[in-house]
Amino acid sequence: MAHIHLDSVSVEFPVYDSHARSLKNNVVRFTTGGRLMQDANKHVLVKALDNLSLDIEHGDRIALVGHNGAGKSTFLKLIAGIYEPSLGSIKVDGAVSPMLNLMQGIEAEFTGLENIMIRGTMLGLPKAKIKEKIAEIIDFSELEAYIHMPVRTYSAGMMVRLAFSIATSIHPEILLIDEVFGAGDTKFMEKAHVKMTSLLDQASIVIFASHADDLVKEFCNKAILLQNGQLIKIGPVAQILKHYHLLNQ
Amino acid sequence: MESKLTKALADLKMGIARWRIWFMMAYQDIQLRYRRSVLGPFWLTLSMAITIYTMGFLYGKLFHMDLEVYYPYLAGGMLTWGLIASVITDSADAFIDAGPVMQQIKMPITLYVHRILLRNFLIFLHNVVVIIPILLIFHAHAKLNLNILLLPLGLLLIYIFGFIYGLIIAIFCARFRDISQIVKSLIQVIFFVTPIMWMPQSLPEHYHTLLYLNPFYSLIQLVRSPLTGFTPSLWAYEITIALILIGSTFALWLFSTYRSRIIYWI
Repeated sequence: MAHIHLDSVSVEFPVYDSHARSLKNNVVRFTTGGRLMQDANKHVLVKALDNLSLDIEHGDRIALVGHNGAGKSTFLKLIAGIYEPSLGSIKVDGAVSPMLNLMQGIEAEFTGLENIMIRGTMLGLPKAKIKEKIAEIIDFSELEAYIHMPVRTYSAGMMVRLAFSIATSIHPEILLIDEVFGAGDTKFMEKAHVKMTSLLDQASIVIFASHADDLVKEFCNKAILLQNGQLIKIGPVAQILKHYHLLNQ
Repeated sequence: MESKLTKALADLKMGIARWRIWFMMAYQDIQLRYRRSVLGPFWLTLSMAITIYTMGFLYGKLFHMDLEVYYPYLAGGMLTWGLIASVITDSADAFIDAGPVMQQIKMPITLYVHRILLRNFLIFLHNVVVIIPILLIFHAHAKLNLNILLLPLGLLLIYIFGFIYGLIIAIFCARFRDISQIVKSLIQVIFFVTPIMWMPQSLPEHYHTLLYLNPFYSLIQLVRSPLTGFTPSLWAYEITIALILIGSTFALWLFSTYRSRIIYWI
């Protein structure tokens, strides 16, 4: 059973930028973004996540709601294991499939086919397994002969189709999504929507960061409201969205 | 809660276990550099050949050396130096260059150091053929013999040395961006103070102790000697192994202390 447990987790980024040190105040609060402070060596610290404790269970489809810089992406990267907490502890049971930035890792000089191999290898799939998936990916992306062409010859839409098809060819256990919708033309969008729905159905836990209310309402059964890196509220989607919009006014 | 050391060791172990990924990355690095060129990675070989063949003649004459002795010596030295120097300079950017990938997928961090090493070892394998014509032409002094069997051992030691110090350099350079520049200028100086272009015999006797203090002299020997038909001195192995032991202790401490912070530096 997939399960995620966070126990008073904080994530702090040091910012090593010479001019950033001129910040006079020890703590500056902004309405967007994490809190800025200084560490013992006068480095600016961004407190991206502040003392988060929660449990995420099998079957949870969680929407992350909040301003830009509220800590949504940091939260996803924390679950993905990319960031480790500076304080507190985190325990993730289950294989994590991050879909954070679709275009990332697509190498323009390589062909579509080569990019599929690269991505598959990086996700830890054996060669035979990748080869199995290739047909499915090519078929879904509708790139046909273009799959043998370098990605730099693709149009923006084709590139998104390739990236989306590669990213969604997985069988996820814990699925992390960071605003990946809006791919390609209308026809592909519909197809992508169906694909995403089936992907979400397969996953035992989904965490979805989005600003699109209708998608959140459609896909999620729970929501977390983040502000300045702090967990403001967790609960049913409708209630949290309402709270979030009240906060915005 | 796992200790920092356990996590660091797990990263080292996973780094090796995921060899398929860094094999692919290293291969891809070379491929990417020479995409659409006819000779491909053999451009490396060609430019190395031109450098060594012209330098050998010029410096052989300048230093009044017997070309029979000097050509193989220089070729072996340049090939080995090319490997060591590029491993060190590339390590400086190991994490910085991998930043975008590190921000997307969680993979063991040591994997990016292996990638640098393998990439440069592959380049070395392309380059090494440059020495064959030299050994065919200038065979009075140096020749291919059973000593070549010591070559894999030398390369293995350089790999281990390069991995340990590469990891240290990569960590420091990720945190302090000036160090990368310092490393790159230092490496130029080291080239001149190490017996690569010149022979240790040309140095007055009482400076020879200084020579042994230069770890790069030992490292170079481990590969240059077997390539040109000689046995590396025992002290070259001793110094290298001592440096590996010291380096690995420091690297393990450094890596376990700062491993989880690296991602925030890039």
